Amino acid sequence: MSTSTVEPLDPLIHVPARLRILVTLAALNEGDTLSFTRLQKMLDLTPGNLITHLRKLEDARYLKSEKTSDGNGLTTIVTLTRRGRAALDAYTEALRNLLGGLAP
Amino acid sequence: MNVIGDPNQAASAGEEAGLDPREAVKILEQAKRQAQRQFNPQPPLLVVVGAALVFLFGYGAVWWSMRDQHPYSSGPALWSLAVLYGLIAISAIAGSVVFGRAQSGVGGRARRQQQIQGVAFAAAGIGAWVVEGALRYRGVSFEIVYGVYGPTVPLIALIAVAAGINAMRESWLELGVCIGIIAVASVSTFFGPLGAWGLTGLGCCLVLLAYAAALVVQQRRA
Repeated sequence: MSTSTVEPLDPLIHVPARLRILVTLAALNEGDTLSFTRLQKMLDLTPGNLITHLRKLEDARYLKSEKTSDGNGLTTIVTLTRRGRAALDAYTEALRNLLGGLAP
Repeated sequence: MNVIGDPNQAASAGEEAGLDPREAVKILEQAKRQAQRQFNPQPPLLVVVGAALVFLFGYGAVWWSMRDQHPYSSGPALWSLAVLYGLIAISAIAGSVVFGRAQSGVGGRARRQQQIQGVAFAAAGIGAWVVEGALRYRGVSFEIVYGVYGPTVPLIALIAVAAGINAMRESWLELGVCIGIIAVASVSTFFGPLGAWGLTGLGCCLVLLAYAAALVVQQRRA
């Protein structure tokens, strides 16, 4: 009898908007940053909604944000941390295992 | 440092409970595809076809203006060089708009890499043109300097840099296009000034049209 266990899905990531945020940031190379404005345009979220999700991910140290000057004023930039990348990898793996288990 | 403020809009964030794992996979795949398409865009079909036409009509114009010169005498007509450089300028502007849009808002390592790539392109182009000047200075004929070297070697130098960048990115299709252009430009030098302009123009146009066709196939498969 198989004793394999399925890892639980990270509840912080298992939300459509936050999953899209992490996947989008993970598409950049390690160490690259993305401006809040570009991220918002790509995900088509309202600023308030995006800020709320980013804050939760930042509290979990999945991403870092900071304000920088870009010549035209202050802009917020966001970076995926190594912890965030690892969490997304683990989530993807857990999802794969779960669906493997669910598959007919 | 946490600089994202509390907007008191937590409720609007909507903790969508009970997300189906299959739905999560779909969201994950869609978001990944969208991000890759936006950050590393393959040039739009229009830009690729435009570049093909630059080779066909730009190089073609120069070939046309010299087609009766046997042997090579006065070189390309001024109008043909104006057509060539005008088309190159339009193509460069279109390419920089597409690239700039893709990289908008991206900073950090990616920005530094772009600057380094810009330096590599500049070094390759300037080096090739300096050698062209040196060849003329050393008394090499106009036929070779402007007829054979001019349309091929600077192009080969610039495309070799692009090939290196695509190899680093593991963009195999684009690497193949670069190798194709280098092969066409190199072989065309065996055929003298008319061959160098004419065959490079026609051959690179065909390579780029084949690339455009491959992009269409890729897009349909996706």
